[in-house]
Amino acid sequence: LEWNVSTWGKRRAFTEHLEKLAELVSEKTGGDFTLNISYGGLSKNRENLDGISIGAFEMAQFCAGYHRDKNRSLTVLELPFLGVNTLEEEVAVSNAVYAHPAVQDEMAQWNARLLMTSPMPQYNLVGTGEPRDELSEFEGMRVRATGGIGQAFEAVGAVPTSMTATEVYNAMESGVIDTAAFAQHAHLSFGTINRADWWTANLNPGTVNCPIVVNVDAYEALTDDQRAALDSSVDEAIAHYLANYGELLKRWDSVLEEKKVEKVVLSDEVLAEFRAKAADPARDQWIEEMSAQGLPAQELYDLVMSTLEQTRAGN
Amino acid sequence: MDTIEIGLWVTGGLLVLVVAGMRVAFAAGLAGLVGLVLVFWAKRDFGAEHLGWALTVAIKTAGQVPHSKVASQALSLIPTFILIGYLAYYAGLTRALFEAAKRWIAWVPGGLAVSTVFATAGFAAVSGASVATSAVFARIAIPEMLAAGYNKRFAAGVVAAGGTLASLIPPSAILVIYAIIVEQDVGKLLLAGFIPGAFSALIYGLLIVGIAMVFKSVGPPITGFTWRERLVSLPPALPIVFVVVIIICFVYNPFGGDAWGTPTEGGALGAFVVFCMALWRGMRWAELKSALLETAKLTVMIFTIIWGVLVYVRFLGFADLPGAFSDWLTGLEMSPMLILICILLAYAVLGMFMDAIGMLLLTLPVVYPAVMALNGGEFVTAADSTFGMSGTMCAIWFGILVVKMAEFCLITPPIGLNCFVVAGVRPDLSVQDVFRGVTPFFIADGVTIALLVAFPGIVLYLPRLAG
Amino acid sequence: MAGHHSVLEDDSLLSRLDRRLLGLERVLALLSGLAVFSLMLLAVRSVGGRVTLNAPLPGYVDWIEQAMPLIAFMGIAYVQRDGGHIRMDILIGRLRGRALWLAELVSVLLMLALMVAMVWGSWAHFLRSFDFAAPLWSRDSTIDIGLPIWPAKLLAPIAFSVLCLRLLLQAWGYGRAFVTGATAPVAVPLIQDAAAQAAAEAEQLEGQD
Ligand code: NA
Ligand code: NA
Repeated sequence: LEWNVSTWGKRRAFTEHLEKLAELVSEKTGGDFTLNISYGGLSKNRENLDGISIGAFEMAQFCAGYHRDKNRSLTVLELPFLGVNTLEEEVAVSNAVYAHPAVQDEMAQWNARLLMTSPMPQYNLVGTGEPRDELSEFEGMRVRATGGIGQAFEAVGAVPTSMTATEVYNAMESGVIDTAAFAQHAHLSFGTINRADWWTANLNPGTVNCPIVVNVDAYEALTDDQRAALDSSVDEAIAHYLANYGELLKRWDSVLEEKKVEKVVLSDEVLAEFRAKAADPARDQWIEEMSAQGLPAQELYDLVMSTLEQTRAGN
Repeated sequence: MDTIEIGLWVTGGLLVLVVAGMRVAFAAGLAGLVGLVLVFWAKRDFGAEHLGWALTVAIKTAGQVPHSKVASQALSLIPTFILIGYLAYYAGLTRALFEAAKRWIAWVPGGLAVSTVFATAGFAAVSGASVATSAVFARIAIPEMLAAGYNKRFAAGVVAAGGTLASLIPPSAILVIYAIIVEQDVGKLLLAGFIPGAFSALIYGLLIVGIAMVFKSVGPPITGFTWRERLVSLPPALPIVFVVVIIICFVYNPFGGDAWGTPTEGGALGAFVVFCMALWRGMRWAELKSALLETAKLTVMIFTIIWGVLVYVRFLGFADLPGAFSDWLTGLEMSPMLILICILLAYAVLGMFMDAIGMLLLTLPVVYPAVMALNGGEFVTAADSTFGMSGTMCAIWFGILVVKMAEFCLITPPIGLNCFVVAGVRPDLSVQDVFRGVTPFFIADGVTIALLVAFPGIVLYLPRLAG
Repeated sequence: MAGHHSVLEDDSLLSRLDRRLLGLERVLALLSGLAVFSLMLLAVRSVGGRVTLNAPLPGYVDWIEQAMPLIAFMGIAYVQRDGGHIRMDILIGRLRGRALWLAELVSVLLMLALMVAMVWGSWAHFLRSFDFAAPLWSRDSTIDIGLPIWPAKLLAPIAFSVLCLRLLLQAWGYGRAFVTGATAPVAVPLIQDAAAQAAAEAEQLEGQD
């Protein structure tokens, strides 16, 4: 049995858990069940849920922020300034939300079953010019940030500017934008770090949530052995992902040093101010809108918060 | 049947449909759809009861492609570039360019012919389509060359060949299409076209001067323009300069400092400049409407091919044929450079019979990964590569080479569209006359392509500057 | 190759339907042209706003992506009416009479089969993005400012349906020509030889140099 897996781009830290999963599943079933990972040949990244729904492939990766209306309940994980600080915390909150029946119901509409997450670090800013570490300095700042993070910056007077990721380097070079919000690996691969004077180490404005899903029919058609091989490999795949990403984050620090990029650490007062102005209204609005559509929005949000507390307490 | 076998059968079927005269976009779409059905059905071992399922999944998969592939910011450059070209007619830019070129450079041997080549190169900077460029210059430049005593066939050949410059020098619809298929940065590719385009024009110019010096009868120099006359000829051609500057500066600022914006914005602003110029020169709603309709027609034609072929490419993704082809090619016991030259020669042969855009769209999904594999992979560094350039640079270099090949095919018999158009504009010229007149330019193109292969720096100088 | 073909007209029902449909096709094509024009204005607004007021157009990319299907699909039947979609007519151009009409008929029927499937497939694609129960009926939205995508996705099945109508008319036209053995049938694009074709292309540019 071979499953087609649809993701995009090239093999990178963001897809290491898929690669590991493929390796483990094949190993455990003695090559009886294999995953064939395709980097963009099977679907466009924003249509991976459609492909799962059709049954064109059996497993896929996607990001909730690419199409908020396709996965409203998942967007709780993309609210700005949730307070998630590490990848381990990101895994914990994702798992909790994925286990919620409302989320599973919404995915079932796409004939999809959530398998695991692809924890992404916070979208901290890389910027040119003088470092911005006071709230007032965000006024008029042109930032490439989409969706909720873009709105959060807008709330403190910044100007979110729209462009595709591949145009960001160019836009930064041309002064079309002053700052860009990305995860570290994207700052590296899109080259924004090469234009940077500073990077916000602890702003942690939010991130995207990118689950791996499987087609329900295909999952149910697996033999017990195959299903066991798949399910039992998830934790190990995630552990591999975290270890691998950890290496990348170490490299990030050395790149910052090498390029003489200043690490901007915002004070607790500034962060609190930021949250009050940008995060709280966004959260209230999200809860109101999603509740109006019949989603248990408050419950989902509380779930994220309580999971976060438990994770921290556990450490 | 395994998926590779399905891939080969369906690809063979596609070629049969295309040769038999089915419209390329739809032949590719149909082949892709049938291929998808087979691939999905094969997953269920061709069980009769699973055919309905395979059909449904295939149709729904194919049905995603048109919207999902077409709704892209990068592709928005194509209609913008086409619109620039049509607006340029109404702005009277062609005549102005030819007049300026004549007054400034017609004093060299073969003067009017050289002027024609450089005026077409200038017009190329606002026109994305080769055929249109030839058609316009056939009407403006040929009568003047004939009046100056030029050989009729030679004059026609100059115009047919000059038109091909439009697709190398940005804006260029065909370069955008290449960038989309191979998923490379459009801005860098457009930038890369400048020097090879200008270089081609230079080689054409040198060839003409050489011919004019050997055969005195070909065309005498034209002298006697005063500096005042020369300067007066410049202002009407100015919008061209604006467009060139805008497009370059929106990709990479050669004056030092920051670029001005993104290529998408640059293309659209270039169109706006020409639009204002056309308004000023008297364009009104009737003319604008026909410019828009013509733009829509050409655009939809190109986009239909794009999504049709991409349905086929989606099928290739499921069949994994490009991977198999590139494994085969890289396994050959031949030097990679020889393989590359064979690929270019294959394009020359194919291009004798096929349209440029259709040819690129049909072949690149398979050929491009193979060429990248030859060089050592998409992410190879210059030091580890076969051709001495990084994966990104190889993609740009190969792009310019195939586009130059595709343009070459516009002037080769039996189907050289530029030659047909020139003969169509001039009732006194047969298609055979034009083909005969354009023959010397095969040599020029051969030399250009050989130099671009031997010295990739000509192509890669600007993209490297842009980082 | 890119073709400019001529379509003959007379008083028959087929020809009248052909012209009726042409009216609709031309309107749709003009819509597509106007959408190209709007791309230009969008860029002017975006750059202008950024330079003068530090206020770029919010969701510039989203708006472009919404406009592209309008540009890319709406003229598809208009182009087919004149036989403008690219093909290689090196072989089919040598056929004459019934053999030619049969070849054209087969070709058109194959296109029709594909397009019926594409109408179904693109309609299903639209349906997945559409939800009566949701705000703005949206179950799929753009990445930045969250515009509903279903209107743009709906354009594909609409334009493809018009193309299916056009292909039906052409199948009728070629079929009738095959049966009657007509030399110059109405309502279908007729292949011109290369010279006539080039002359037509040139004529189109007449008076604009
Ligand atoms: Na051009
Ligand atoms: Na040719």
